[in-house]
Amino acid sequence: MPLISFDGVTYHYPGSESPGLCNVTTEVEPGQVILVRGPSGSGKSTLLRCLNGLVPHSTGGRFAGRVLVCGLDTRDHPPRVLGARVGFVFQHPDAQFVLEDVEAELAFGLENQGLPRPLMRKRIEEVIDQVGISALRRRRIETLSGGERQRVAIAATLAMHPQAIALDEPTSQLDPQAAEDVLQVIGRLVAELGMTTLIAEHRVERVAPMVDRVWTLERGALADQEPRTALTEGGARPPVVDLALRAGWLPLPLGLREARSHAGRLPRTSAPVSVPAADGPIVISTDGVSKAYGQRQAVTGTSISLRGGEVTVLMGRNGCGKTTLLKLLARIIRPDSGRVFGETPVAYIPQDADTLLFASTVAEELLGVDPDVAGSFAPWLDRYPRDLSTGQRQQLAIAVAAGRAVLLLLDEPTRGLDPSVKQALTSFLQRRAADGCTVLVATHDVEWAARTASRVLLMADGEIYADGPPRVALSESLVFSTQINKLLGQGWLLPEEVPV
Amino acid sequence: MTLNPVAWCAWALAALAAAFIERNPYLQIVLLMVIVNVWLPYRGRERNSYWKLGALLAIAPVVFSFALSRFGHHTLFRLPDLPIIGGPWTLEALAFGASTGVALLLVVAVFGVLQATVRSADLISLLPRPLYRAGTVFALAVAFAPQSIAALRSISEARRLRGRRSGWRAAPALLVPLLLTSLERALQYGESLDARGYGSRRRSRYRIPSWRPADHLVVAASTLSLVLVMLFPVTGYSPYEEIVPALPTVTNFGAILLLVLPAVLCATRRTRHATDLV
Repeated sequence: MPLISFDGVTYHYPGSESPGLCNVTTEVEPGQVILVRGPSGSGKSTLLRCLNGLVPHSTGGRFAGRVLVCGLDTRDHPPRVLGARVGFVFQHPDAQFVLEDVEAELAFGLENQGLPRPLMRKRIEEVIDQVGISALRRRRIETLSGGERQRVAIAATLAMHPQAIALDEPTSQLDPQAAEDVLQVIGRLVAELGMTTLIAEHRVERVAPMVDRVWTLERGALADQEPRTALTEGGARPPVVDLALRAGWLPLPLGLREARSHAGRLPRTSAPVSVPAADGPIVISTDGVSKAYGQRQAVTGTSISLRGGEVTVLMGRNGCGKTTLLKLLARIIRPDSGRVFGETPVAYIPQDADTLLFASTVAEELLGVDPDVAGSFAPWLDRYPRDLSTGQRQQLAIAVAAGRAVLLLLDEPTRGLDPSVKQALTSFLQRRAADGCTVLVATHDVEWAARTASRVLLMADGEIYADGPPRVALSESLVFSTQINKLLGQGWLLPEEVPV
Repeated sequence: MTLNPVAWCAWALAALAAAFIERNPYLQIVLLMVIVNVWLPYRGRERNSYWKLGALLAIAPVVFSFALSRFGHHTLFRLPDLPIIGGPWTLEALAFGASTGVALLLVVAVFGVLQATVRSADLISLLPRPLYRAGTVFALAVAFAPQSIAALRSISEARRLRGRRSGWRAAPALLVPLLLTSLERALQYGESLDARGYGSRRRSRYRIPSWRPADHLVVAASTLSLVLVMLFPVTGYSPYEEIVPALPTVTNFGAILLLVLPAVLCATRRTRHATDLV
């Protein structure tokens, strides 16, 4: 008997004419792992929110069809009842923390269920071991890193002993190592507990090897397929699958482990030589800049120079000082010591690009923007900016902020973007660089960085520790390395450049 | 050493009463030393914000009183006849401002101790069941305030980056995006509470703080201190009438010194409470 079933589910958000979900019919058997993928705004989050009744109980709108979860009809049971059956982990872990320390957070859901204290204690001890957070149990939430917060959020959800768990892009805010830590936890849940898991994720290479089915959403319509069929047909797929399809490897490998047995058959050639660094004029430079917040040193004695025509990517773990360095270059904050040289029109696009949008229509936002740039927003001119999809809002924020700036500083612009929007962003930045602009992007997305950057800076603990072309910087790193580089090494970064 | 949140609340109540009632500088200094000693075992690496806030609040009345009051006989210096600040700057005005400033610092410091020693979850758990929901909403609202300030800062920063005004005159323009950002976050919180079964049935409690002899002692000492402060208030300090404050009685000093008991208990046992959360 299926644990979850969707029967002809069609859903419209309030005031929307186009459906968020369109006649979705499918089932999930106990213990299955489902990857939910699709472009931004295709209905992934909406679908997951149907599982615990947030859609339609919390969102309103028109809901047709039926979702059964553990035999309960979600139309008849509110989220607070369904929440005990299907645990939900949000994209932003901070959005679900109510109390200030880890143990209290783990207990919060159990207290809501009215469980007796000995049982709560047992559940909490179990979940701490399962998720491997014993070192965090006495910590305040505010002191945890992004990855630690997400693991605590997963643990708090698991403590309620749900029969299934839904994770809405759980790694999108995390650096590669923290994302790996979180995925290891999910992998352990699947392998050891047989937990039914539904996970929405743009960077599918992270989860593809562990999934039983792939749900692909396109404008609310769902295709439920076996992973190899789904990934062969298209959409977001791991780089290793792209390489395997080109090389004709069968059965199609979904992860590195399966691909390694095929990789030995590839012709042995050396990787292309790195493109020479841009030799444009130095647009901005820093000389030993340092910045501290209270007792925490964010940037320590950093000296860098950025040239015209360069797209430089800045990578490092959460909290290593990337945002602070960008703000120092944008002169939003002043260094405690050291200097920033160069007077040039600068555009800084913060992590939360929504803060740049405050007009009531897209047209109003675009007033004064170059008509060529504004032209690409013609279909949405009358819409309210915050009603656009994540990718569209990101593009609009860049368009209004970039203007005629010569130095573009972007902080995590690829978060939550699907591959096609990321590709459009790559093209835009490379075009601006070709026009002589200087671009510096802080990101965790290694695959995107390998496609986009002409130079990579790696940062840790407030200091730049590696600086060079992507082929050098990203192939000498264990953490900040592309999937193809992990498979082949020797400077290979992208599937399309490997001869087959 | 573990103290029950009820004991801390009793201590805070007595300390606040002393801070509000006792304006004698000798007693204020003793009370400040007592509060600092109670706070020291629980201090964290980045928990000094209350002291910074207290210092700011303490300086403001000193500056205002010193700069604006023209009363008093002990003139320290005299400015030419400028509007508002011109005329004699007196020791009495400085002393009056300092006394008010220290009172404000003491109040903030008491809340700083409470913040360092008691978790909001424990405070909520003290509430009777009918008030639990209101308590949780209040805790969320308190947690919301710093996030709203951070959102306001980033919206203001974004406006500046786009070449718009970002000072106080831009406040009306900041209001709408701030309201929208806050509403979006409030909706997320609401969804999270729903998804975690909030309000689904009668709640149970995971942590029921233990009650030990030390808690009895602290509650008794705090109650006695409160009674003594109420029954034997020292003559109020008015520097404009007499710049040298009256010397308090032994009872007055004793009432304040009773509040040092948590520090004494800490010195004799291992400190363990909310500060174990790092």
